[in-house]
Amino acid sequence: MTSHANLTLTLAAKDWRLFWADRRAALLCFIVPIVLASAFGMIFNRPTPDATATKLPILVVIEDDGPFTAQVAADLLTSPKLDAKASTQSEAEAALPKRRPTIAVVLPKGFEKLRDWQPSGGGDRPTVRILHHPTASMERQWAEGVVTEIVMRRLARSKFGGFVGADEAAFATPFQVDATAVSAGTSAKFNSYSHSFCGMTLQYLLFWGMESGLLFLRERQRGVWKRTRAAPVPLGCVLAGKTLSTAAIALLQVFVTFGFGYFVFGVQVTGSFTGFVLLALAACGLAAATGLLVAAIGGTEARARSVSILVILGISMIGGLWLPTFLLPEWVRDTALSLPTSWAMRGLGGVTWEGLGLRAVLPNVAMVTAFAVVFLAIAVLRLKSDERRLRQGNV
Amino acid sequence: MPAPVALSLVDVRVRYGDRFAVDGVSLDVRRGEIVGLLGPNGSGKSTTLAVAAGVLDAAEGTVTVEGISRLVDPAGFAMRVGFVPQECALYDELTATDNLTFFGKLYGLAGADLRRRVLRVLGRVRLADHAEQRVSTFSGGMKQRLNLAVALIHDPGLLLLDEPTAALDPASRDALFADLTRLRDDGHAVLLSTHHLDEAELGCDRVAVLDRGKLVACGSPNELLRCRSTDRQVLYGHLRVRPPKFLQKALQKRFGTRIEFEITGRRLRLSAPTNEDLGMALATILAEGIELETYRTPAGTLERTMRDSGSVAATHGGADQP
Repeated sequence: MTSHANLTLTLAAKDWRLFWADRRAALLCFIVPIVLASAFGMIFNRPTPDATATKLPILVVIEDDGPFTAQVAADLLTSPKLDAKASTQSEAEAALPKRRPTIAVVLPKGFEKLRDWQPSGGGDRPTVRILHHPTASMERQWAEGVVTEIVMRRLARSKFGGFVGADEAAFATPFQVDATAVSAGTSAKFNSYSHSFCGMTLQYLLFWGMESGLLFLRERQRGVWKRTRAAPVPLGCVLAGKTLSTAAIALLQVFVTFGFGYFVFGVQVTGSFTGFVLLALAACGLAAATGLLVAAIGGTEARARSVSILVILGISMIGGLWLPTFLLPEWVRDTALSLPTSWAMRGLGGVTWEGLGLRAVLPNVAMVTAFAVVFLAIAVLRLKSDERRLRQGNV
Repeated sequence: MPAPVALSLVDVRVRYGDRFAVDGVSLDVRRGEIVGLLGPNGSGKSTTLAVAAGVLDAAEGTVTVEGISRLVDPAGFAMRVGFVPQECALYDELTATDNLTFFGKLYGLAGADLRRRVLRVLGRVRLADHAEQRVSTFSGGMKQRLNLAVALIHDPGLLLLDEPTAALDPASRDALFADLTRLRDDGHAVLLSTHHLDEAELGCDRVAVLDRGKLVACGSPNELLRCRSTDRQVLYGHLRVRPPKFLQKALQKRFGTRIEFEITGRRLRLSAPTNEDLGMALATILAEGIELETYRTPAGTLERTMRDSGSVAATHGGADQP
């Protein structure tokens, strides 16, 4: 008599062959997450701290023709922090709605009065107007900071230039800035591609799990299911075979997607490689368990597909698979702790760009595994109950 | 000495909710015979086969295959049964060999023995030349032959076929019955379900008539016919193309009550009091441009038996064709 292990392998091998029978569909399973991860990575890509600083593009509108204003304008136009161009008010108002650029600084008539500014003096203060696109509030604050720095430096020079001479160093900021990224890892360096490849891989593992579950639902409505039930095959072997084949294809997806990320975008496991492998295995188990759960509680294929897509997209978004969680509201981050996607994403982010060690990601491995086990248990109990009812004619 | 009993159903009852789909059916199928389960839709044929195949549990009664009960030895029971479900129970995406190999492995076969059996059953159903072709490229008849081959891969003593001719043209149906006859001659027991009277009459050694879950008659076609002589002449035909509804209605109107004219899918049934009436009806049909691929006029018919059991109206009224 064939052992249960052999039966399980036979059933898993059949699913593996069925998966590759439609080569184009199989290839899409790998290509789609790669394309999406690449696109998300490009969209959220920001220069690393080591790279040349990004310049903020702005327009400078000069409405006052005084010499102090001209000096401030010249400082703005030559600032290493800005990519500034002189413009008229009407040109700026036409350019801003098109986001080319999103900020315009207006030095209005009367700005020249600032030359006579006294630290303790009251009276009218000239207004610097900053025009900005409605979505560019962060850029507005950035521009405000740079304008303030340039004006204050120019004022200091005009007030105290006679005492200290024209030495530029004399008017430098009286402190230096040392910006250091702090995370649990020692080599944390945010990489948008690492994030997007982790996120899209996880999302498409779940989609593959769903697809596998739908295939199982379809198979159970076909004659082959009756034939399989008539054969000396315990239901446990059928479910184990399905789990094994789904997890094996999911593992291949992880391998291909991360392999592409490594060779093309430099996505690396900077932390524990063992942690990465354990998380990948747990995530593949989660995909397989999700598939069985879809098959167990999905009812009809159409219903199962609609609900599954909604749920997977929801838990992907809330779990931080699309956007880094620091961009999400706090309540979303709190809610995400109840989702397996969040634990998997934090773990994978930890071992890829954050450089975390094995001990730091073991809780994530444990949580993802626990979710997979719970999903699997629910699915197996439900499917066994269905089989019992089917045998008794309670369809 | 009679051949050993392959399948024994004793007072089997299957309940679907409040009603019995199979109600006290007792039936033996011996090695070397083809038994037809005959009855209209909903008479319990498929349920009886499902119980015999072990995919459905009987609420009452006993089911044994070669003396083995599924409740005692499920694996031993399954090894002795070859089940051909009504739907095409094959993976279209795989080749004929892959399908046979997969299902063979489920029955514990492996290695050279499995490869030998695959070649043998493919030859038996005349698909050896298509062994490496995907099933999706097969015709309906080829699929049904492969469907049968899969059930034979582990060489079971009992073959169960649920409406095996439902989607076949007359030539494929005749070929299938030729295969089944050879299997019977090799000592297999065959139990098949059908709701086509002519198939049961022409292809089966014994016929068991089911009606609303009860076994209402059982015996050889001749025995059943001797018990009840028929008073009408019957012709069964297979049409090349199904005629339009308006033409069917017009013919029904023209024939009146004297001639029964029924078309189900591409199957035709004509019934008339005399041979002359039958001939005239056939000539009328042909004159309207309706082409027949094949037709047959059985020497006798089980029509009366079915009629007496109250099954005949439902049989011909049912949507039994694709």
